[in-house]
Amino acid sequence: MSTIAEWAHALMSPSPVALIVGILLVLSIPLFLHSFVFRASGLTTLPSILLIGPSGSGKTSLLTLFERGTSAAQTHTSQAPISAECHLPVGTLASSDRYRSVNDPTNLRHKKFLLVDTPGHGKLRHHALASITNPQNLKGIIFVVDAATLSAGDEGLRHTADYLHDILLVLQKRTESKNKAVKALKEIPILIAANKGDLFTALPASLVKSSLEMEISKVRSSRSKGLLDSGIGMEDEGDRDEWLGEVGSTEFRFKQMEEFDVVVEVSGGNVAGG
Amino acid sequence: MLDTFEILTTSGVVLWSKSYSAISPAIINSLITNVFIEERTLPGAGIADDISAANNPPYKYDQHTLKWTTVKELGLIFVAVYRSLLHLSWIDKLVDNIKTIFVDLYGDQLKKPHTTIVECHFDEYFDQQVRELEKTALNQDTRVAEASALEEAPISVSANLRDEPPPLPGILSRGQSKNTFKDLTSNESTPIATPDTSRPSTPASHILTGKGGPGGKGSRRARKAANTPSAYASSGEESQRKGRPKSSGPKKGRKWDAEGMADEDSDTPLDYSTPADGVNLGDDEGKGRPGNVEGVDHATWGSKTGKGQFVLKDLDDQVNSILATAGAKKESSTASTGIVGSSINAIGGLFRNVVGGKTLTKEDLDKAMKGMEDHLLRKNVAREAAIRLCEGVERELIGVKTGNFESVQARIQTAMEASLQKILTPTSSLDLLREIDAVTSPSALSLKKKRPYVISIVGVNGVGKSTNLSKICFFLLQNKYKVLVVACDTFRSGAVEQLAVHVRNLKELSAREGGEVELYQKGYGKDAANVAKDSVSFAAQEGFDVVLIDTAGRRHNDQRLMSSLDKFAKFANPDKILMVGEALVGTDSVAQARNFNTAFGAGRSLDGFIISKCDTVGDMVGTLVSMVHATNVPVLFVGVGQHYSDLRNLSVKWAVQKLLSSNQ
Repeated sequence: MSTIAEWAHALMSPSPVALIVGILLVLSIPLFLHSFVFRASGLTTLPSILLIGPSGSGKTSLLTLFERGTSAAQTHTSQAPISAECHLPVGTLASSDRYRSVNDPTNLRHKKFLLVDTPGHGKLRHHALASITNPQNLKGIIFVVDAATLSAGDEGLRHTADYLHDILLVLQKRTESKNKAVKALKEIPILIAANKGDLFTALPASLVKSSLEMEISKVRSSRSKGLLDSGIGMEDEGDRDEWLGEVGSTEFRFKQMEEFDVVVEVSGGNVAGG
Repeated sequence: MLDTFEILTTSGVVLWSKSYSAISPAIINSLITNVFIEERTLPGAGIADDISAANNPPYKYDQHTLKWTTVKELGLIFVAVYRSLLHLSWIDKLVDNIKTIFVDLYGDQLKKPHTTIVECHFDEYFDQQVRELEKTALNQDTRVAEASALEEAPISVSANLRDEPPPLPGILSRGQSKNTFKDLTSNESTPIATPDTSRPSTPASHILTGKGGPGGKGSRRARKAANTPSAYASSGEESQRKGRPKSSGPKKGRKWDAEGMADEDSDTPLDYSTPADGVNLGDDEGKGRPGNVEGVDHATWGSKTGKGQFVLKDLDDQVNSILATAGAKKESSTASTGIVGSSINAIGGLFRNVVGGKTLTKEDLDKAMKGMEDHLLRKNVAREAAIRLCEGVERELIGVKTGNFESVQARIQTAMEASLQKILTPTSSLDLLREIDAVTSPSALSLKKKRPYVISIVGVNGVGKSTNLSKICFFLLQNKYKVLVVACDTFRSGAVEQLAVHVRNLKELSAREGGEVELYQKGYGKDAANVAKDSVSFAAQEGFDVVLIDTAGRRHNDQRLMSSLDKFAKFANPDKILMVGEALVGTDSVAQARNFNTAFGAGRSLDGFIISKCDTVGDMVGTLVSMVHATNVPVLFVGVGQHYSDLRNLSVKWAVQKLLSSNQ
């Protein structure tokens, strides 16, 4: 009986040690919470932009150009994806900055983002597809093409259109995906960067757009006529609606992708050669 | 002379390069696509870490030879390019040394994430290495030239005969002397004598005297003088050679140093002092060595921080010390691990095996890989292909840490899945209809003439060539093409009639849908190549879209039958040559695919496989892998039944799932 009373006494009496411990706890809990909640969210990856495109179109060159700012590094065929941290020039406003005050000091900082390069070789495209189907804060896609190999009837045009068709199809079907991160991708802008504009045979951006659209229509119709896959009947291949763009249209237009919140834009330029 | 030396990452960025004469980037690109991505190298020779350039097969492309080595964990590739005409024996050594130095100097920079920039001022180190190796190579040559002068004439003559296309005049002496040098060494029965292997030995002497070049050079001269008679004597007599190994320790050590012919038994060229040798070495060198490395470390430290201007002067020392420490490290890693240590390791290993975070070693993998190999063999994968796949996976996994709560087995499973996916995925898209469209109705801008698209089908007897041909025909007819079926089996009785039955059926089936099909036949006994050629011109006249050519079945190891394929390919000039292989065949599939692939002469190979009878084997679709492994030719179609419509595109995912499933 007496022991219980003693215990109660000890607990109730304001001993200095208990006070200090209590105060420390009270003060440190918010600090801990802050560091957990905010640091953890700060550790998520930077907004990233994906570089996709067929082999030899200049993805890695573009990446190094963005990273170094002045000139691109010499590059060879990639075998592995790589990401590089790049900066936007001071003063560039992101769309999320609309509501910031003009005098906000954060406007004067470099905006950082990750540029993710993927290998374009046919056997290694699963890297690119994986980063779309399992995105890490993905904000946009740059599809790099070699404008000099896109003339009609060229092998390059066929391969490029094939690849672009596959990527667009994956994006179109992203709402059906089981992965929540994919579903969360609301709007995905795609920039088709027509690289190597300095070459003599390079097509201007408008022609690149129209020839790609034409070729994708062909891909689309021949895919629909093609044979079935041997994997038919596998459980996760239930819905085989593989038609890209507007159903029933004869010609594919990049505009048709806007229905699926995929905005496609084409612009020309060149990484090397001034 | 060396054309270009490049250091690049697996992600394709060139970190550092030095070129003496401009070369096309296509050369290194083709090395990467062929050797690293498509793995067209011979099995066994692969991308592994810590393999010196000498063990990697040189890659030849368009008059250039490429020597390369890789560092797996950093994702680095070191490539040296030189003209195939030249005979540069020191390149291997150069590539290895540069690798060691570069990794030592910039290794930590390479581990930084999210950047491609590596600050390197590597030119000096590289130049120093080139100078040094060239010098040693030259020294060797002159010395050997002296020695070879004393040899009998026949040997040098034979050397001249063996000399390949006459090198440039400046190089002539070197090439020749090198060959005689080889003869000399073969007499001595020392394996691969790379002239420059004397290099590793010199650091020690440098360090000992604490001086730069001149001291080392002088000592080398002295040793050379001492050495020449011995080399001369040894080249003459066999008995002398036999006697030498028994000679006392110091002598052996000195001999090895001076001659510079490394003991390649310890197949790491950098490994300049195996413990045994260290004991045997003479009193002076043996004592000095262990302390030396330490001393030089301090020296380099000082020169790096304190006196900036001395860096150039001490470059030799710095480089040598890097090489020496690398050598020492390798030594210590191979050396003692006590019983206690190993047992603790074993327990920890077992624990980590369950929890994950274990660094995989060869021993861990061996047993599991054996299991995986057996599994693949049970799936009817040919042994050769299974072994290659397993070796690839093993190479990939050694040194890798397993993830959290990931067992070794699971790690191997995923790696094998990726590996199978890679081997089965075609390099370019295989849309047959679009290819046909591109040929039969070319766009107005591309200046190409309309012509029929020619597909020919080859294969061993009884695998289903005619059946698959008619399946393809049915598929094309459904897409409203005008098809000409050509009977080029002019050998087996009944073959033409068999096709005629197929064509009659197909006609009736497709009449309503608008496809058109005709049979082209010239009876029996005619030359197949001529029939094929006539049929193509006939099809062009009559406006057919596609020509399907059926050929006689032939045994792939019968030279007489296979040789006619060469002529056939030249005459008919098909856009696609497809080979039919049955899923039932086992180990023979590799040989079949390989022989057919090479039968069409230079510059022409198979374009795709049709794997027939896949419905009869269930899960055991290993033939797919075996055939693709042997030739790097993709699988275009798989046959999955008896009806005309039972032809499918290959789904890689489906095949991989079947291969890895284990419900037997």
